[in-house]
Amino acid sequence: MTEKINQVRVAFDNELSGAVTGDELEQVRVKFLSRNGAIAQLFEEMKSVPAAEKPVLGKLLNTLKNAAQGAFDERKKTLSQSKEQRTRSIDLTLPGRPKPIGTKHPLTQTMDEIKKIFMTMGFSVATGPEIETDYYNFGALNFPPEHPARDMQDTFFIAKDILLRTHTSPVQIRTMEQQRPPVREIMPGRVYRNEAVSARSLVSFHQIEGLYVDRGVTFSDLKGTLVAFAHQFYGKDVKFKFRPTFFPFTEPSADMYISCFLCKGEGCRMCKFVGWLEIMGSGMVHPHVLQNVGYDPEVFTGFAFGMGIERIACLRYGVDDLRLFYENDVRFLQQF
Amino acid sequence: MKISHNWLKEYIDISLKPAVLAENLSKVGLEVGGYEDFAAKYEKFVVGEVLERGNHPNADRLSLCKVNVGSEVLEIVCGAPNVAAGQKVPVALVGATIPRNQHDPEGKSFTLERAHIRGIQSNGMICSSFELGLGEDANGILVLKRSAKPGMPFAKFLGLTDVLYDMEVTANRGDWLSHIGVAREIQMITGKKASLIRTRIKESKTLTKNHATIRILDEQKCRRYSSRVLKNVKLGPSPQWMQDRLQSVGIRPINNIVDVTNYVLMETGQPLHAFDYDTLAGHAIVVKCAAEGEKFTTLDGKERILKADTLMICDGERPVAIAGVMGGANTEISEGTTTVLIESANFDPSSVRRTSKYLGLSTDASQRFERGVDIEMTLYAANRAAQLIQEFTGAEVLKGSIDVYPKKARPTFVSLRVKRTNAVLGTSLSKQEIISSLRRLELIPAAQTKETVKFRVPSFRYDIAEEIDLIEEVARAYGYDNVETKTRMTVDFSKPLRTTSLQDEIRNYLIGAGFNEILTYSLQDRVKGHLMADKAVEVLNPVSAEASVLRTSLVPGALTVVQHNRSHGQKDLRLFEIGNVFGLRGEKPEKTLDAYVEEERLLVLLSGNVISAQYGSEHRTADLFDLKGEIQALISKFCLDKYRFIYYDSASALIESALAVEINGTYAGFLGEVGKSIAQRFDIDGALFVCELRVSDLQRGWATEKKLIPLPRFPGVHRDLAFVVNAGIQHETVARGIREAGGTLLANLVLFDLYVGDQIGAGNKSLAYSLEFQPLDRTLTDREIDAEVLRIVKHVEATCNAKLRAL
Repeated sequence: MTEKINQVRVAFDNELSGAVTGDELEQVRVKFLSRNGAIAQLFEEMKSVPAAEKPVLGKLLNTLKNAAQGAFDERKKTLSQSKEQRTRSIDLTLPGRPKPIGTKHPLTQTMDEIKKIFMTMGFSVATGPEIETDYYNFGALNFPPEHPARDMQDTFFIAKDILLRTHTSPVQIRTMEQQRPPVREIMPGRVYRNEAVSARSLVSFHQIEGLYVDRGVTFSDLKGTLVAFAHQFYGKDVKFKFRPTFFPFTEPSADMYISCFLCKGEGCRMCKFVGWLEIMGSGMVHPHVLQNVGYDPEVFTGFAFGMGIERIACLRYGVDDLRLFYENDVRFLQQF
Repeated sequence: MKISHNWLKEYIDISLKPAVLAENLSKVGLEVGGYEDFAAKYEKFVVGEVLERGNHPNADRLSLCKVNVGSEVLEIVCGAPNVAAGQKVPVALVGATIPRNQHDPEGKSFTLERAHIRGIQSNGMICSSFELGLGEDANGILVLKRSAKPGMPFAKFLGLTDVLYDMEVTANRGDWLSHIGVAREIQMITGKKASLIRTRIKESKTLTKNHATIRILDEQKCRRYSSRVLKNVKLGPSPQWMQDRLQSVGIRPINNIVDVTNYVLMETGQPLHAFDYDTLAGHAIVVKCAAEGEKFTTLDGKERILKADTLMICDGERPVAIAGVMGGANTEISEGTTTVLIESANFDPSSVRRTSKYLGLSTDASQRFERGVDIEMTLYAANRAAQLIQEFTGAEVLKGSIDVYPKKARPTFVSLRVKRTNAVLGTSLSKQEIISSLRRLELIPAAQTKETVKFRVPSFRYDIAEEIDLIEEVARAYGYDNVETKTRMTVDFSKPLRTTSLQDEIRNYLIGAGFNEILTYSLQDRVKGHLMADKAVEVLNPVSAEASVLRTSLVPGALTVVQHNRSHGQKDLRLFEIGNVFGLRGEKPEKTLDAYVEEERLLVLLSGNVISAQYGSEHRTADLFDLKGEIQALISKFCLDKYRFIYYDSASALIESALAVEINGTYAGFLGEVGKSIAQRFDIDGALFVCELRVSDLQRGWATEKKLIPLPRFPGVHRDLAFVVNAGIQHETVARGIREAGGTLLANLVLFDLYVGDQIGAGNKSLAYSLEFQPLDRTLTDREIDAEVLRIVKHVEATCNAKLRAL
C-alpha cells in the first residue's frame, strides 16, 4: 500500500508538471483529484487495510491528498496568470476595422422629424406631381387670373397652363378631390421658383404642407396645433405669435413666429436682431377652395399650413448657404 | 413702401410712440419691416453753447465747461482736446442713452448719469460723432454750425424729426399703398378718426368743359376719368417741405407740377398724370385701345411696341399715355408749359397688369391699379392736385371739373353671420362686439337681424366681397393673439394612417449599409438633361442655362456630386438618392399633364475602395459585383425573391457591362459601370458603378405581409462541389444545372470560389459551390446524399460540358 501511494505521488507530480494548458490541467484533476480519481481510489482501498496499519497509511494518504490539492491549485493559479500575460501582448489600441457610416441627408432628417410630429397627431403623408397645371397650382387655390398675388411666386412654365409647382399646396386640392372629410394630411415635396440662385435663394427647394378639414375646425384649433408642433420641434420654452397676412387660398391667414431659440428673444444675427423668427404660413382654408373640391364650406371648415424645409434646416444646423445642401460634400453630409 | 410718421399726422391724430405704432400695425397684418426713430434716439440730446472753458482743478487733461443748454447753464467735465468757448455742441443730458461708448471695446450703449469726475460734478456730456452714432470720429467733440440754437432738440437740429416706416404691403391690400390707407388702419387700432384734407379751390369764370373734351371709348378698361385744367401755371421747384416729404418716401422731386401729382398719389393712392395742355391735339382726351404693333415713346424716352389690348390715352390725333402705366414724351410737362390738364382716372386692374407685364414696365401707378384703386377717389384727387398747384403757382383753375363716369359703382353690401364668425374663429364674440370693431374699419351696418349684420363696404376696400373677408376683418380687429390657442383636439381614426413608406424604409436600410444620402437639383443644363434620354422637359422661361431642363435620370446629378467630392479628396463614395425624374410621353410639350412622365427613382452609386487601406488586409476597389451584391440584398430585403437580372451582351457608351433589373416580371431599371467617356466629362478617372431603379416597381414588389415558413426540424447537410468548365460557360448556367438536379431538397447554393489558372488548363475556369440539402421530413442518410450529389454531378457534366474537380 505504501508503494501504491508513492506511485500515485510520482505519477501526479509528473503529469502536473507536464500540464501547460487548461485542458491538460483539467485532465490531471479528473485523473487524480476527482471523486473517482486515483487518490479517491486509494482511500477506497484503505477500507480493506488491516486496522493496525491504518493510522500510518492514513496519515501518508492524507498528506498526499493535501499536497496534491495544494500543488494543483498553485499550478492552476500560475497557468491563468500566464494566460493573462499572453493577452496583454495583443495591442488593443489597434483601431477597429473601418466601416462606412451611412447618413440621411440633413434636409430629409428635418423633414422626417416634422413628419413624425404631425403623424403622432394623426396626420398621414400625401404626395403629388411636381409638374402641375395652372388649375391645381393657382386656379383651384383661389388665385384670380391676372392678380398680383401670382407675383408672390415667380413661376417656371413648361407649356401653356403647365408649370412647375411653386408650392406644395396643389397636393391639398388633389388630396381633397380623392376623399371626403375628415382630411388630415401632411404633404412634403419639392417646389420651384423662378429666382436667381444665391446663398439665400435657390430655383427649387422643399416644403412641407399640412391640411386638416373636418366639421368644426376653427382658427383656435389652427393655433393650438401649430403651437404644439413648435413646442415639440423647437422646445417647450419658445414663445409664439401669429400675425395677419395674405394667401389667396386661406382666410384668415396667419404667419407664425417663434421667439428666436438661439438668443431667447434677446436679438442676434440669426433673428436679425428682432428676437423673432418667422417659421410658417397658415390660415383657414378659403371657402372657394373647399367649393372647388366639392366640399360644402357651410359644413366643413379647415386649416392649412406650410413651411420651407431648407430655411428650417439652416436655422437648426447653422448653415448660412443653401447651396451646401445640394453640393453633397460627404464631409458636410457626415456631420449630420 | 415707405410711410412717414409726420405725413400720417396730416390725416389722423397719433399719440402712439413709433415703436408701439409699428408693433400694433404688424399685429393687424400691416407688417413694419423696420423704422428709425431719431426723435426717440436723441430724446435727451440738445444743442448747447460752451460759455466758458476752464481747467479742471484736479486733472490736466480735463476741462470744466459752462454750457448753455437753453433752459439752464450746466457745469460739464469734458475730456476732448478741441473743446473751446463759443462753440455750439451736442450735449447729452442726464438720463440720455449714449448710442456708442468709445471706452467700451464693443462700443455698447449706456445711460448717462450725473457723475463726479475727479471730484467735480459733471451734469451732462458733450458728445463726439462716434458717441452719437453719426460717424467714426472719436478724437474730439462734434462742433456744430454757429447758427445752431442752444436748447434745440438735437434730432430737430439734424432735421431728423420724422420716423419712416418700411411697410410690407400684402398683395390684397392696394389701399395700404397710401398715407390715408395706413391712417385708416391706425383708425382701427386707436379709434381716432382718419380723414382727408378738405380741398378749397378758387375757380375762374372760364368753364373747363369749353376748353377740353374727354371721351372713354372702352368703358370696360377705363371706368372713370376725372380731370381739371389749370392755366397760367408757373413751372418751378415745389416748396421745400414737399420736396423733403417726397424724398423721405423715396421719390425724386422734379418740378412743382409733377411733385404735386406724386404727392397726391402718396397721399390718396390715386395715380395722377399731368399733360401739357397745349400739346394735346384738339385739347381732347380719348381713351381707347392701341393698334397692334403701334409704337409709342414713354416719358423715360424708351420706344414701346403696343398690342391691340393695350389701353391708351389719346388726344385728338395720337396716343399720349399708356393708361395706368406711364405718360408719353410727346405731352410731357416742360419748361414752356403754361396750361396743365390733370388726369385722375380709374383703370381695370387686370388690363393694367397685362400691359405692365407685357411691357416689363412696373410703375408706382401700375402697382396701385393692379391691386385696385378706390373709384370714388378720382375727383377728390384731381381737385386736391389743382388746389396745391394753385397754392404754389397762383395758377388759374378753370371752373368745374370734367368727370366721365359711365357706370357709377354701386356700394358693396356683405352680410355676416355671428354664429358662422365664431365657428370659423373659435371665438364667442357677440353681435355688438363685432359691429363696433368693424365700424372702426368704416364697415357700416346697413341692416341687421338677430343673427346677421349686413355691412356697407367702403369703396376703397377692394378686397372685401364676401362673408369670409369680413370674418378676417373681425379676426384682425379682435386680435389673433386674443383667439384661444386650443390645445385639446380629438383625433379621428376613421381612416387608416399612412405612417411609413417604402422610401423611408429604403433610406434607413441603405444608411445602415453605409451609404450617404444625397439630394441634387432637378433642373439641369441641357447637356446633363439629355445625357440619359433624348427627350427632356424644358422650362420655357429658365432663370439660367444651368437650370433649364428637368432631369431625366438621377445619374448626371450623382456624377456631379462624385466630381465635387473627388476634387476635394473624397474618393471612396457610397451614395444614394431618391427623387423624381421627368420625361415627355410624346414628341413635344403639350397642354395636358398626360403628356409628361414623372417617376420616382432610386439611385445607388459605388466608387473607390469598398475595403479601405487598413492593417491586416489588402484594400480593394469596388467592382460591379460589389454593387450587384448591395442591390441584390436591397431588393431581397423588400421584394424577397421576386426579381432577376437580365444580362445584355452589348454595352453602350453610357453604361458599360449593364444589367437590367426585373422585379415581378417588369423592367425596373439597370445596374452597370459608368462609361469611361461619360465619366471623363465629369473629370472622373476612377471606376464608377451605378444602379437606378423605379421606386414604383419596388413598391409593387414590396412584400409587406409576411408569413412564417417553419424552421427545419431536421439537420441540413453541406457538400462542396467544384466544376471545371470552359471559360465561356456562365455561372448562371452551371447554377441552374445544379438547381434543376437538386430539386426541392437543395435549399441553398453558394458560389464560394472562382479559379482560373494553370492547374485546370488554359481556356477553363473552376467554379466551386457549397450546397446545402435540407430535408423537411427526416434525417438524410449518407447514402441518400451521395446519390443526390452524384445525380447533380452527372446532370451538370452533361448540360454544361463540365468536369467535376473535387468532391
